[in-house]
Amino acid sequence: MSDGLRRRDFLKVVGVGSAGAAVAGCSEGDVERLIPYVVPPEEITPGVATWYATTCGECAAGCGVRVRTREGRAVMMEGNPDHPVSQGGLCSRGVSALQGLYNPDRLAGPMRRNGSGDLEAIGWEEALALLAQQLDGANPLLFTGGKGPAEGTLLNDFAARLGGRRVIYDVLDDAPLREAVNIAFGVNTLPRYEIAAADLLVSFGADFLETWLTPVRFTRDFARMHAFDHGEKGRFVFVGPRLSLTGQNADEWIPARPGSQTAIALALAGELVRRGADAGPYTDAVSRYTLDAAAGAAGVEAAALSSLADRFAEGSALALGPGLAGWDEGATAANLAVLILNVAAGSLGRTLHIPGEAGTEATSYAEIADAVAGMRSGTHRAAVVAGTNPAYSLPGAFGFAEAFATVPFKVAFATALDETAHMADLVLPDAHPLESWGDSSHPGGVYAVRQPVMRPVPAFDSRPMGDVLLDLGRRLGEDLGAESFRDFVRARFAQRAAEPGSFSFTRDDGAGETVSDPDSAWRRLLRSGSGHFAGSVEDIQALQEAPGTAVGFDSPVAAEDGELSLIVHPSPRFGDGTHSNRPWLQELPDPVSKVMWHGWAEINPTTAERLGLREGDVVAISTGDEAVEVPVWVYPGIHPGAVALAMGGGHSDYGRYANGNGVNPVPLLGSAADAHSGAPALIAGGLSIAPTGAWRRLASTEGSSDQDDRNITPAVALSAVGHEAVAEAGHGEGGHGQLRELQEGGGFRTVTTEGRAEDFPLPGSDFGAYGEEHPRWAMALDLDKCTGCGACVTACQAENNIPWVGEDQVAIGREMHWLRLERYYETVDASHSGPVDIRFLPMLCQHCNNAPCEPVCPVFAAYHTPDGLNAQAYNRCVGTRYCANNCPYKVRVFNWLRYTDEEQIPAPLNWQFNPDVTVRENGVMEKCTFCVQRIREAGNRAALEGREVRDGEVVTACQSVCPAGVITFGNIKDHDSQVAAAAGDERAYRVLDALINTQPAVHYLRKVTLHDVEEGGH
Amino acid sequence: MKRLWLVAGIGAVALILTVPLLGSRQAPGEAPEAEATQENLSQPIQFPHNTHAGQWLIDCQYCHFSAERSVDAGIPPVETCIGCHREGLIAGRTIPEEVVKVREHYNSGTPIPWRRIYKVSDHVHFPHMRHVAAGVTCQSCHGEVQEMGVLTEMAPQAGNLKMGWCVSCHVERGASRDCTVCHY
Repeated sequence: MSDGLRRRDFLKVVGVGSAGAAVAGCSEGDVERLIPYVVPPEEITPGVATWYATTCGECAAGCGVRVRTREGRAVMMEGNPDHPVSQGGLCSRGVSALQGLYNPDRLAGPMRRNGSGDLEAIGWEEALALLAQQLDGANPLLFTGGKGPAEGTLLNDFAARLGGRRVIYDVLDDAPLREAVNIAFGVNTLPRYEIAAADLLVSFGADFLETWLTPVRFTRDFARMHAFDHGEKGRFVFVGPRLSLTGQNADEWIPARPGSQTAIALALAGELVRRGADAGPYTDAVSRYTLDAAAGAAGVEAAALSSLADRFAEGSALALGPGLAGWDEGATAANLAVLILNVAAGSLGRTLHIPGEAGTEATSYAEIADAVAGMRSGTHRAAVVAGTNPAYSLPGAFGFAEAFATVPFKVAFATALDETAHMADLVLPDAHPLESWGDSSHPGGVYAVRQPVMRPVPAFDSRPMGDVLLDLGRRLGEDLGAESFRDFVRARFAQRAAEPGSFSFTRDDGAGETVSDPDSAWRRLLRSGSGHFAGSVEDIQALQEAPGTAVGFDSPVAAEDGELSLIVHPSPRFGDGTHSNRPWLQELPDPVSKVMWHGWAEINPTTAERLGLREGDVVAISTGDEAVEVPVWVYPGIHPGAVALAMGGGHSDYGRYANGNGVNPVPLLGSAADAHSGAPALIAGGLSIAPTGAWRRLASTEGSSDQDDRNITPAVALSAVGHEAVAEAGHGEGGHGQLRELQEGGGFRTVTTEGRAEDFPLPGSDFGAYGEEHPRWAMALDLDKCTGCGACVTACQAENNIPWVGEDQVAIGREMHWLRLERYYETVDASHSGPVDIRFLPMLCQHCNNAPCEPVCPVFAAYHTPDGLNAQAYNRCVGTRYCANNCPYKVRVFNWLRYTDEEQIPAPLNWQFNPDVTVRENGVMEKCTFCVQRIREAGNRAALEGREVRDGEVVTACQSVCPAGVITFGNIKDHDSQVAAAAGDERAYRVLDALINTQPAVHYLRKVTLHDVEEGGH
Repeated sequence: MKRLWLVAGIGAVALILTVPLLGSRQAPGEAPEAEATQENLSQPIQFPHNTHAGQWLIDCQYCHFSAERSVDAGIPPVETCIGCHREGLIAGRTIPEEVVKVREHYNSGTPIPWRRIYKVSDHVHFPHMRHVAAGVTCQSCHGEVQEMGVLTEMAPQAGNLKMGWCVSCHVERGASRDCTVCHY
């Protein structure tokens, strides 16, 4: 560009082109309308977000959320930091509630089956009249999902008044665990785990960071327990055949055969008893179990179990599980064994608490089976299914679909026409939790409210089930206690909070504050989301001396060598399949396999080799008469004797994003069930696997699971932290000190810098606003906390109007996430017990000071802002993609296709668009902006108030949901800021900086391992 | 010189690439764009800005209520009109039949579908409150609206609301010229 043509000439010519385009793009006579309110709602200012505190309704955990609304529509879900359970975190499924709310496959209105057997639309009045007439005297069966206390009470009252029966069916509720607690302690409840208080955490397969009980809360607690803090960190050992995402976070893996967890837990308890521990009434029983025998049954080394027993004896331990991963014929026994181990290890009352009062209501599988039998025998002449999809998720052995089909009048309360609703005679569209009232209660007296965050989406003529039940009650002459469900929830709260001082809120300083009258308490509850009821339940301190039920611990014979077991597990993205019809979740790479959209079978490399299978080979997996066809994904984190399939795929009738994607493994499960709880066995033997000859390219975002020698996620051994070498390795990697900078007069000059992020703008930058004082935005991510869950990915997608591109585009590498989770295997070996080291790294635009993308942009669309952001001016971008080609981090994504129209984003999904972020057209490059819209919003607010932006005031979308508290964001030039402190940590490093001198603003804090790591940090 | 032609060629390619400009997908609440007809181009209510803001000196922000605190200036709810034009109060001295229409909108609960006159592109963020706080008058961008009758086009003195015009003021006032101040 030196001879006669300068960059500016180039820009001028291109600029003329763009101006012409702008004129051509506007057809001049179009008329746009501005529609004002008739009467403005008081709380809404146009252009200013209104936040509501409510309770997430996506699973039974009931996390507290803050929902951001703009002009009366919900646009973003974030964790509520004031909520005692979720403490500011949220998962991908929670964030995706927005796509449940605006899902284009939601029911448009009530429907009934007509004479020719088709569902036809009817009005609510007709539907309710029909329902009232049909339920009257029909001994109805209410088959519902897990509900909050108010809704549950109303359902129970309703069933009782009508002389009917209610059963609760939620796959993810751990029935064998409840049963085991009942047997061991005599109370039907779930334990309360205090993970943060443990030094040793052992999971016997429970995937507590993904789907088990309250994963968001567990993730936060796990980060407290396990992340490096002041020279210490806890140890996490995973015992089981498959490393779930939870297992991938372990320090040590004991790859036990499927079904052998009971033997190991009992042997450990027995070993502790032999060393003098007490296991109450089970002391004698467990002392017969030896580590050698357990090691033999599990196919692991006795030495590994022995050293685990030593660790149990050492300090504050907690054993979890086995969760759904242990659901076989001996699931209750396995849970009981783990409870006994906890007692023997002295965990009861320290890290494991058993509330002395029955917890949230649940129905045993025996009752569910009985209710299904009642449908079959004609006892129930009407059946109502609400908020659950048993025709899809309940194993065929229960015979739900056949029995349901015989019921004369079948009703479904549902948000979409799922497999169960498709069978119904009357379908009633239920409101989404974000449009409904409700509540949730948690251990320790915590009470949280759910309130509508917006008026019901007008495209769907839905009504909340609570209101419908109250209406039905009136039609049937039964007063169920309130006019509306809102009044019902409020009256129940007022009744409980009537006693002065009975309800309190937690202030910012952590102290409790009571509110005298129930009305002000209610108003404050709506603002804060949650509070506490006084009067704690006493915990149980010891095992029941004489258990009413004798449990046989002889677990089913573990599979022989060479025989394969099938492991069916809930999906971290879809749970039991409820969340499958959401494009964000379909396109979220599975945290374990990184596969999107379609299904896969996990097979150990040695097994794959033995069977002659490669990754992508489509195999038929069968048990008995049932078979599914699915491609193979070779995974070193699964036992050679097991094959794993995730739930949630293979919907036949649910919606456009779910149907036909993936496979549903539930039909492969036989009739086997847990002996005590009746829960279906999710582990099946007698598996056969046969190649079909077909092969498919996995729609995966995983380029490589090996870092090779790139040193992307170096780690440091716990023993080495604090030594000078680490500090040097951390800081010494900062750049080469020299870089070339564009001068105002044209050409480049060489500048010397120490390469720190806060050095921007470089000394001597004299043109434009760069010479003035600006913040330098920077981020720090603590990789020792990151569990790889992917909540940040979905939050980023929601906040920034990032499109989903579908399986075909993903398969050719055109996914558009601005943030991805890289996952690298360092040590993972299923052939023996030992350390496991799998590293996670959330990769986003590094906002380099010396950014390779910027100088190659011919139109100056990629450039550096005075406050240090590596910006992308969309309206300047002409789509050369030079920047993406030159980006070493692969964080720039290109709109290959048009993702803005109705075909791609069907209404009302577009209602979720964040109005503060431009929706990009095809031909435009885009990438992480550090949520510049949030930075500008905070800047505007601060400017109006005549102050600087405070540290912590700008919270990026990824940061706002992260359940582990990985992310810190702020102005790194402010030496008192949190991000400056994190970036100055001895563990801090910057990815690839040492190799290519990019000088990023994103700092990572190394993972800390309990085992020694090789020279060079990995 | 050959080189310059080459660049012009690239510019032409850029032109083709950018013809479908950035997405302008409608947000809910915004009515879809309609074909321009004579009827469409007029306002649903013949609202004279000159009577209100010129003659009676009603402050712009009395109706455009959020300009001081929000990105959006705010279009007055029908209730704001009714505050003065309720039955029995001001009946409208210049064009009383239009006040009758406003009351009809209020009584039937239907919003007034105003035709939008001033608009920056969808990829531009214009925070009204920052400009108000900086002492930029409404007229600096919108023109002497208080002298206009029914607005069917931008006031003659208004800026053209294109980027060069925005930037010239930013330069003059020493405001930021960074792209991400407006574009993100």
